[in-house]
Amino acid sequence: MSAYIEFKGVTKAFSGKPVLLGMDLAVNKGEVMFIIGTSGVGKSVTIKHLIGLLRIDAGEIWFDGVRVDTIPERGLEPLRKRIGMVFQSSTLFDSMTLAENVALPLRKHQGMRHSAALVEAKKRLAQVYMDDYAERYPAELSDGMRKRAAIARTLALNPEVVLFDEPTTGLDPVSARRVDRLIRELAATLGVTAIVVSHDPPSIFSIADRVAFIYQGRVHVVATPAELRASPDPIVQQFINGQSSGPMETPGF
Amino acid sequence: MSYARTRIERIGDAALGAGRAAIELWLVYVSTIAGIVRGFSRKRGGRGRPKGELVRQMFYIGNKSLIFIVVTLGFIGMVMTYQACLQLSRVTGDFSQVGPQFMRLIISDFGPTLTGLMLATRVGAGIAAEIGSMKVTEQIDALRMSGVLPIDYLIVPRFIASLIMTLMLATLGSLITYGAGGLTAEFSFGVNPNTYYDLSLLRPRHLVLFVVKALAYGAAIPVVAGFCGLRARGSSEGVGWATTAAVIGSSFAVIVLDFLISAAALFLTDGDL
Repeated sequence: MSAYIEFKGVTKAFSGKPVLLGMDLAVNKGEVMFIIGTSGVGKSVTIKHLIGLLRIDAGEIWFDGVRVDTIPERGLEPLRKRIGMVFQSSTLFDSMTLAENVALPLRKHQGMRHSAALVEAKKRLAQVYMDDYAERYPAELSDGMRKRAAIARTLALNPEVVLFDEPTTGLDPVSARRVDRLIRELAATLGVTAIVVSHDPPSIFSIADRVAFIYQGRVHVVATPAELRASPDPIVQQFINGQSSGPMETPGF
Repeated sequence: MSYARTRIERIGDAALGAGRAAIELWLVYVSTIAGIVRGFSRKRGGRGRPKGELVRQMFYIGNKSLIFIVVTLGFIGMVMTYQACLQLSRVTGDFSQVGPQFMRLIISDFGPTLTGLMLATRVGAGIAAEIGSMKVTEQIDALRMSGVLPIDYLIVPRFIASLIMTLMLATLGSLITYGAGGLTAEFSFGVNPNTYYDLSLLRPRHLVLFVVKALAYGAAIPVVAGFCGLRARGSSEGVGWATTAAVIGSSFAVIVLDFLISAAALFLTDGDL
């Protein structure tokens, strides 16, 4: 049986500088897959390829039996209803309240009227415990609150897959663990498949089903958190233990 | 030999980059026009611009530029008339043609062009900085994920607002330039207002040229600035580069369009302009 999401031999370069060099990765339905690796190694780039925000140079990307890397921009709307993304910097629109931010994809993707979309948006905010702040603007809230509201906006369309780009970066430990719990709940209660780009060891070892470690443009190892901890590979050990010296001499490239 | 090859390759790369940029700029313009058409055919709640955005942009581009345009064009009118009168006083001392010729010059060229150049700096920089910031903070990607076309959402309202407000500001700026020139001519050189405010040389073709130029600049500034903002890369440095490129690019566009439209007008009127 083929995987739910599959990257096959994906390569990508920016201005001649290679980032991905034939990356292969398979993600199963309903699992929480973490993608880890040093900064600049291509983790965010990998997940952006899945939804057409970036285009691969070579290779193939498959989602639910359909090749998606060849779909033109105009044809990506159905895919972007099924796969949501929580960006690294929340990306809430400053001129809109939280409710209006969450209502935007409902209005645009589903054609809901403004008032109906706002009612639905408040329900989504309640899912992430942010309904009391529905009428507030992003600038009035903390990073953790903005992140949760961004998750609510992504969940508004009931996506089958959610991509998280460093969801706990910049958050205090308590807010970070709340976001972790939310991701785990999504997978457990709604059956959402989550792909999480992260540097945060507590997140990786507490909620991941499997972890893909990217090194030098390829997936170096895919393993469960327990297997990763026990791995004899010195490169893996250097990364998960955060050692400045070791075989991983040039982080990323 | 290898040095020469490297130089040639660099020139080739630069030429290819410029060619790609020109194509992308053209695509932004075409997409903007398509976005306006989509806006007319789209029911409410569709994929168009946010509610009230057009009025907000008209306020930002028009009202917020008002003092800047009035003061700048007022001073330019004073300086130009003063210099014209000064040179005439040294040669013939006949000021009878200062007002009528100046009016013709303002309407057919200086009014819309100077307004366009001023707006290219103020409005062009603002549009590029705003869209560039959204680009580097992934808000543009978030819009795409929300089912919103960034061109429709960000550039179309600025395009329509710029068309309307550039025409209005060019009209006001031209009147201010002419009026400030008249006051300078009267109080510095004693030119009779009845002689200065003589519109006998003004023809409908000058007014047509005025409207065409104002609309052309109004269309070019948001497209060039929006294009520069959408190409922003990296972080705040990328936004800075985008803003600089927008000011240079939109000012250059105004000057090139001025030349092309003036040349076309001269051709169409057999030089009788």
